Amino acid sequence: MGITVQQVIFVCLAAIVLGAALFVVTTRNLFRGALMLALAFLGVAGFYVLLDLGLFAVAQVMIYIGAISILIIFSVMLTCGMQAMIPRNAQAGGVAILAALLFVLLALVFGPVRLTLDLTGVPLLSTLFRTETPRVVGDVPWRYNTQAVAETYISDFGRALVDINQFLLPFLLIAFLVDVVLAGAILIARQRKPAEVLAEQQEIAAEEAAEAAALRTAEGAPAMPSTAAATVADH
Amino acid sequence: MDVISNLLKIISDFVAELIRSIFGFSPFLAELITMGLAAVVLATFAALSFMGLTYVERKVVARIQDRIGPNQAGPFGLLQPIADGIKMFTKEDTTPAAADRWVYNLAPLVIAVFALTTYAVLPFAPGVVGTNLNVGVFFILAIGSGSIIAILMAGWGSNNKYALLGAFRTVAQLVGYEVPMLLNLLPVVMLTGSMSLIDIVNHQTTLDGNPGIPHIIYLPLSALVFLISGVAETGRSPFDLLEAESEIVAGFHTEYSGMKFALFFLGEYVNALAVSFVFATLFLGGYAGPILPPYIWLLLKAALVFFVLMWLRGTLPRVRIDQMHNLNWKFLVPMSIVNLVLVMLALKLFPASAAAQAASGGVLVSPGAQAVILMLINLAVLLVSLSLVGRAARRLRMQEEALLAQRRAANMAMARA
Amino acid sequence: MPTPNVINGIPLWWYLLVASGLFAIGLYGVLARKNAIAMLMGVELMLNSVNLNLLAFWRYLNPTSAAGMAFAAFVFVVAAAEAAVGLALIISVYRTLHSIDPEKLDQLKL
Repeated sequence: MGITVQQVIFVCLAAIVLGAALFVVTTRNLFRGALMLALAFLGVAGFYVLLDLGLFAVAQVMIYIGAISILIIFSVMLTCGMQAMIPRNAQAGGVAILAALLFVLLALVFGPVRLTLDLTGVPLLSTLFRTETPRVVGDVPWRYNTQAVAETYISDFGRALVDINQFLLPFLLIAFLVDVVLAGAILIARQRKPAEVLAEQQEIAAEEAAEAAALRTAEGAPAMPSTAAATVADH
Repeated sequence: MDVISNLLKIISDFVAELIRSIFGFSPFLAELITMGLAAVVLATFAALSFMGLTYVERKVVARIQDRIGPNQAGPFGLLQPIADGIKMFTKEDTTPAAADRWVYNLAPLVIAVFALTTYAVLPFAPGVVGTNLNVGVFFILAIGSGSIIAILMAGWGSNNKYALLGAFRTVAQLVGYEVPMLLNLLPVVMLTGSMSLIDIVNHQTTLDGNPGIPHIIYLPLSALVFLISGVAETGRSPFDLLEAESEIVAGFHTEYSGMKFALFFLGEYVNALAVSFVFATLFLGGYAGPILPPYIWLLLKAALVFFVLMWLRGTLPRVRIDQMHNLNWKFLVPMSIVNLVLVMLALKLFPASAAAQAASGGVLVSPGAQAVILMLINLAVLLVSLSLVGRAARRLRMQEEALLAQRRAANMAMARA
Repeated sequence: MPTPNVINGIPLWWYLLVASGLFAIGLYGVLARKNAIAMLMGVELMLNSVNLNLLAFWRYLNPTSAAGMAFAAFVFVVAAAEAAVGLALIISVYRTLHSIDPEKLDQLKL
C-alpha cells in the first residue's frame, strides 16, 4: 500500500501542531507564544478537515483563532506580560518528566504496540493479580465502524441538539452557562469609579482597625487612643 | 451561446485534458494541477480587479465630490493604477528600530492571504467554484474573524503606541460587527436550509422547483444590516476611523511603507470586493439571470454593490468610535435578534414546501406568499426599531433643550440682578 | 496485526498519539510556567487535544450518531467561556496586584 496524500498531510499537520505547542510552552516572549498558539489551533482545524468534519474545522477557526486567541493577545498586552521573564518555575524539571511519563502511558494504551505482561512466573505479583493468561497493554479492540459520515451530518447534529430525547438539556445548560459567563466577565473586569474604589478602601481600613482594636483589648493592653478607634469604627 | 455561458468550465476541462495528454500524469494529479492553476487565476483576478477598483473608486468619489479625479496618467487617467503600483514598488522598505521583525513582516502577508481565501468558495457560474463547501457561509465568516489576528500583529509589531491603539480599536470594531453579520446571515441559511453557497444561489433561481425570488425581497432588513456590517468589517467609510489620517495617523499600518503597505491596501480592497461578491451571491441571486452568461451577471451585481459602497464613502461623514459601537450593540444587535426570532417563527408557521410542512406542521403557503410575509416582518421590525430610536432621540433632545432654556433663564436672572 | 480502523490510510492511533502529545505538552505548560496567562494557554492546548481525541473516536467508531459531535461542541463552548472568565479574572488581579505570577496569589484576600 503506497503512501496516500492524507498521510502526508497528516504528518505535516502533526509537525506544525506539536512544534507550535512546544514553542508556546517554552517561550519567554508571550506575544509570540500567543501567535504560535493560534497556529496550533489552525493545525488542529486541519485535523478536523481530515476527519471529514468541515463544520468543526470552521468553528475551530472562528472560536479559537477568531476569539480566544484575540482575548489572550489582548490580556497579554494589558497586563504587561510582554517583559521577558524566566519561562520556567521551580518545578519545571519534575513536570517535564511527569509529562513525558504521561505521554508514554497514553501512547502505550492508545498505540498499536502490544506489551504482554507475563506474570505467571513472578512469585508475589502472580498471586496478587491472580492471572493465568498474560496481560496485554495496548491495541485495545475498539469496535470499529468506518462508514462514511452522513451527508446531512450538520442537520442531524442540529436536530439532536433540540431533541428532548437527545441533547436538549445539555444544550440549554450550556446556553445558560454562556449567559452567566457573559455577565460574570463584565462584572469582574469592569472599571470601578473612583468613588467606589475609595469607599471600598475605607471599608477595608475600618475593618482592619476594628480587628486591631479588638486584639489589643483582648490582650489587656493599656487603652489606645480609643477616640480614634471609635471614630473609625463608627463609620 | 452555450459556449459563452459555459466558457469557464470548457476552459478548465480543456486545460486538464491538455496537462494529462502532455505529461501523462494520473487524472488525480492532472486535477490537482488544474486546481492549482485555477487558484492562481483567481488570485490574479482579485489582484487585477484591485488595481481597476482603486482607479474606479477615485473617479467615482471624485465625481460625487464635484471634481474630476485622476486624469493625468494616460487617457482619462487609466494608467493611474500602474503609476500607483510603480510608486509603491519603488518606495523605501523601512522597518522600525525595535520592531519584532518576524511579526512585523508577516502581518501584511497574513492579511492578504486571508482576504484572498474568501474567493475560494464563491460560485462564479454553475459548476465553477473553487470548492463547494457545505459550510460555505460559515467559512467566509470564519476567514473574516481569522484575519483579525494579523491586525494585532501589525499593530504590535510596529512598536508604536499609535499603531497599537489603532490596532485595538480596529479589532474592537471588527469583532463587534461580526455579531450582526452572523445574526443576519442566519435568516438566509434558515430560508435556504443549507449553508452551501451553491444551494443558496440555486434557491434564488427556478431550478429544481425553487422559487426564483432573490433573497433581498424575502429579507430586506437582513440585507441592509448585512451590508452595514460588511462596510464596517472592511473598515471603509463611514467606519474608517481606524485609518483616518486626521485622527490616529494611519492606525495600525502607520509604520508600513512600500510593498507592505501595498499589501494592506490590497487586503482592504479585496475584502471590500469579497463583501460585494458575497452580498450579491446571498441576497441578489449570484450568477442567476436570463440572457447574459452567468459570470457576467455575478460581476454586474457585485459591481452594483461595490458602487453602493463607493457611494457611501463619498457621501457620509465619518462616524465617531463611540457612536459606532452604540450603533452596533444598542441598535443593530437587538434588531437583528428580534428579526431572527420572528423570521424563525414565520418559517415554521408558514412553510413553503410540503416536506417542510410534514416535518414541522404549519400552514402551507406558496413561495411568493412566504416571501411577502417575510418581507412584511422585516419591514415591520425595521420601522418599529427606527420609531423607537426616533422617540428616544426626541426625548433626549427635549431634555437638552429644557436644560438649555433653564440655564439661559438663570443667566438672564443673574445678569439682571 | 489486522488494521480495520484505517480511513484514507490513517489509522486511528495516529490521531490518538497526536492528541496525547498535545495533552502532555499542555500539561507541562500549565504546571511549569510562572505566568497566569501562559498557564491558560496550556489549558487551551489541553482542551484542544481532548476535542481532537473525541472527534477522532467519533469518526472511527460511530460516525452516524450525534453524540460525539455534541460532546465536542460543548467542549468548544466551555473552553471559550472559561478562557473569557479566566482572562477577566487575570486582568482584575493585575489591576490590584500589578503582577500575574500565580505564586503571589496565596491569600484569600488581595
